[in-house]
Amino acid sequence: MIRTLEGYWADYGCVLMQPYHTEVAAGTMNPATALRSLGPKPWKVAYVEPVIRPTDGRYGENPYRFQHYLQYQVVIKPAPADILDVYFGSLAAIGIDAKKHDLRLVEDDWEQPTLGAWGLGWEVWCDGMEITQWTYFQQFGGLELEAIPAEITYGTERLAMFLQRKRSAFELEWAPGVTWGDVYRESEREWSTYNFEVAPVDVLMRRFGEYEEECRSLIERRLPLPAYDQVLKSSHTFNLLDARGAVSVTERAAYIGRVRDLARAVCQLYVDLEAEGDAASAA
Amino acid sequence: MPRLLLEIGCEELPARACREALAQLPALSRAHLDVDPEHVWVGPRRLALVAEVSDRTPDRWIKGPPESRREQAAEGFARRYGVSSDELEVRDGFLGVTAPGQSVREALPQRVDAIVRGLEFWKTMRWDDSGLRFARPVRWLLAKLDSETVVGEASFGHRFQHPEPVEIDSPAAYLDVLRAVDVEPDHDERRRRIVEGLPDGWSDPADVLEEVVHLVEWPVVLEGSFDERFLQLPVRVVQTAMQSHQRYFPLGGNRFAFVANGGDPEVVRAGNERVLEGRLDDASFTFERDVKVGIDELATRLDHITFFAGAGSFAEKAERLLDLVTRLGGGEASREAARLAKADQAAELVREFPDLEGHIGAEYARLAGYPEAVCAAVDEQYLPEGPDTPIPATEAGRILSAADKIDNLRVAFELGRRPTGSRDPYGLRRAAIGLCRLAIEGSLSIPLELLGPDVAEFVLERLEVLLPVPVEFTRAARASGVDDLGGVARLAEALAVLPDERLDPIHTAYTRASRIAANANGSGELDPALLQEPAERAVADAVARVEPQIRSALDAGDLHGALDAAVELASPLDRFFEEVLVMADDSAVRANRLQLMLDVRDALGLLGDFSQIPR
Repeated sequence: MIRTLEGYWADYGCVLMQPYHTEVAAGTMNPATALRSLGPKPWKVAYVEPVIRPTDGRYGENPYRFQHYLQYQVVIKPAPADILDVYFGSLAAIGIDAKKHDLRLVEDDWEQPTLGAWGLGWEVWCDGMEITQWTYFQQFGGLELEAIPAEITYGTERLAMFLQRKRSAFELEWAPGVTWGDVYRESEREWSTYNFEVAPVDVLMRRFGEYEEECRSLIERRLPLPAYDQVLKSSHTFNLLDARGAVSVTERAAYIGRVRDLARAVCQLYVDLEAEGDAASAA
Repeated sequence: MPRLLLEIGCEELPARACREALAQLPALSRAHLDVDPEHVWVGPRRLALVAEVSDRTPDRWIKGPPESRREQAAEGFARRYGVSSDELEVRDGFLGVTAPGQSVREALPQRVDAIVRGLEFWKTMRWDDSGLRFARPVRWLLAKLDSETVVGEASFGHRFQHPEPVEIDSPAAYLDVLRAVDVEPDHDERRRRIVEGLPDGWSDPADVLEEVVHLVEWPVVLEGSFDERFLQLPVRVVQTAMQSHQRYFPLGGNRFAFVANGGDPEVVRAGNERVLEGRLDDASFTFERDVKVGIDELATRLDHITFFAGAGSFAEKAERLLDLVTRLGGGEASREAARLAKADQAAELVREFPDLEGHIGAEYARLAGYPEAVCAAVDEQYLPEGPDTPIPATEAGRILSAADKIDNLRVAFELGRRPTGSRDPYGLRRAAIGLCRLAIEGSLSIPLELLGPDVAEFVLERLEVLLPVPVEFTRAARASGVDDLGGVARLAEALAVLPDERLDPIHTAYTRASRIAANANGSGELDPALLQEPAERAVADAVARVEPQIRSALDAGDLHGALDAAVELASPLDRFFEEVLVMADDSAVRANRLQLMLDVRDALGLLGDFSQIPR
């Protein structure tokens, strides 16, 4: 299925990229989406992204909840007028016959407060199963986007469960004789234990401050890409603190605000540098 | 007159946007087409209107400079409108030109554009560099004048069943042509088909019907069922999974109905059943884990869960609730309920179904065999949900609900989180209104001292808005000696219906006494030996008699008795003002008389600050 999606989007002209090296809570946070959505330059990309959501872990005991799963992420900027049809073409490619199934676009507006980002779009339902998150981004890092990207995020486990008619992700056939559970169940158990019980709160709190500080100094050095990694690291650290139950409701807002401020500054720097680069090459 | 069809083709619009367009299109038609539309139809992929329009748009008078400025301004104005200056007409002292109307055909593209841009939505987006903002991308426009296509080319059928362009021969043929390609443009017809297609016994507690009408272009009602083992789940958990998550209609038992937008019914049914069972499986998994832990054990796990930063954990909250329900006069059931009330905050199922907090705890309490009075109170603790929704039906539920609201308010106020402007993230206004309703409709005695001064002030402000009496009466009652929320409300209502012939004497007595005593220091305590005149002795006697009567009547909740007693002060006071000079030369006598007036004011003031009531 992933191979078919890779082929489909490569044929469409996407750059095929590989997962990012720092933990992200969504494929959207990969700089190949987040930063490349900024500015006027066209961009088409597709990649698999392992997403890490510490609070969603269930020790490998729940068939639908995991702290680690795989998204297939496509970003087309600017979005052409027929982009929905192109997307439905990708579903046909993996074997979903739109005439036989009930495909539905159900309003779902997306917002990522830690990135100062939002967009409008849908959940795509296939016979009632949510298989894709679909978003036309409007803002990133608090900046209005110049060219509107379409973001297509397939939930690969859900999609595979739908195609293989499985009721549990752990039963998905990953390769002949090897299930998704064989690959990931133990990892779910261990990471859930770490996320909920072991991760050292005081160390995490210290690290959060360090990432924040490093991000600011990198912004001063005008290095938006390494600075952005510090945003991702502080965001992930916050998520771990959250899973450890170390963040209260009001502190939550304060942490999110701190990450958002960093994200804004990095996005602004990225846009400025890109514009300066264009100006320089034009001169 | 030609008939116009306008179709705005969109990517799938939210139901709310459909309703917004439905509300605005008639006015936009009047503004830009000068006519009320015959039909407005809205749905997820198209907004349409049909109207009979004039062949020509009307001539338009363009007012220019005043005639007195013909010399200086006529030339320029005429040039701007492409006429010579001697062609200008004069109306009411102004120069101007008549811009001839256009044929509707010529005017239409610009008018259509104005209608599209005139639609306003709650949330809008951009999708290309056209600068247009809309609820979702606009992908095609079609305007037909009778059989002539003026804007765009064609319409489109059902997104998947008939994706090809379709010719619309004329506005009159619009519905038939689209119905042939699996599109029902008329929202009322879609709703009718859905409601007719739903099997007997359907229900829609979460009101998803109106959304479903705008989720599909070609509604097909299908039925499904789920494994009966999921019936062990609390009914509302199953309902929430069906309705909020999947937009299904419960049919009772393990059956449900849903509305598809096409597809092979067997395939679609099987898929939807699998999805629902997946969700229920997920819920069962959590439910069983919770039940294994049990409500009593959950109640002991609250010390790790923060209620509110700076306000400790839910365990501490539970202790405060226990104290509050006791002080609210709660018995065994409400004390037990207070202990268990927040236990479900430690339940995993509440994390999945946050709207069912309280209810889930109640279900767990039932499974643990607690008396129904306790379970019902836990269930009802968050009621009332809105200004018109019911308050708890049980006494213990009302007491627990009041305790919870008092605690929320007190904690938020102590932490300085009172609502500002329209921002009220902790729902404190709703809590305050709920509290007032519990006192009024639930006849619950809520001593104001339980609220503390700031919260009491805030709650009483809500009471002013809530009570169906002029606000002055509530303000008067707030200043009374009544120290119970419901008592203040009842007093305000009693004052508001008090006939003038009874209100006036009290009002006059109160205002005269308080005016004269307003800036004075009394002697502190009345000295009977200094009372010289019979009239002042009569007032002192009346106060001594009436004041305790008012007090005891108020304590007994007998407002009419208290008011009757108050009236008795009126005529002695009248006589006093006729016969006695308050400002006596002897300063001790003067201070004693002022003290007498203060006593009168305070006795009547037990019933409120009458000066608030305009006379």
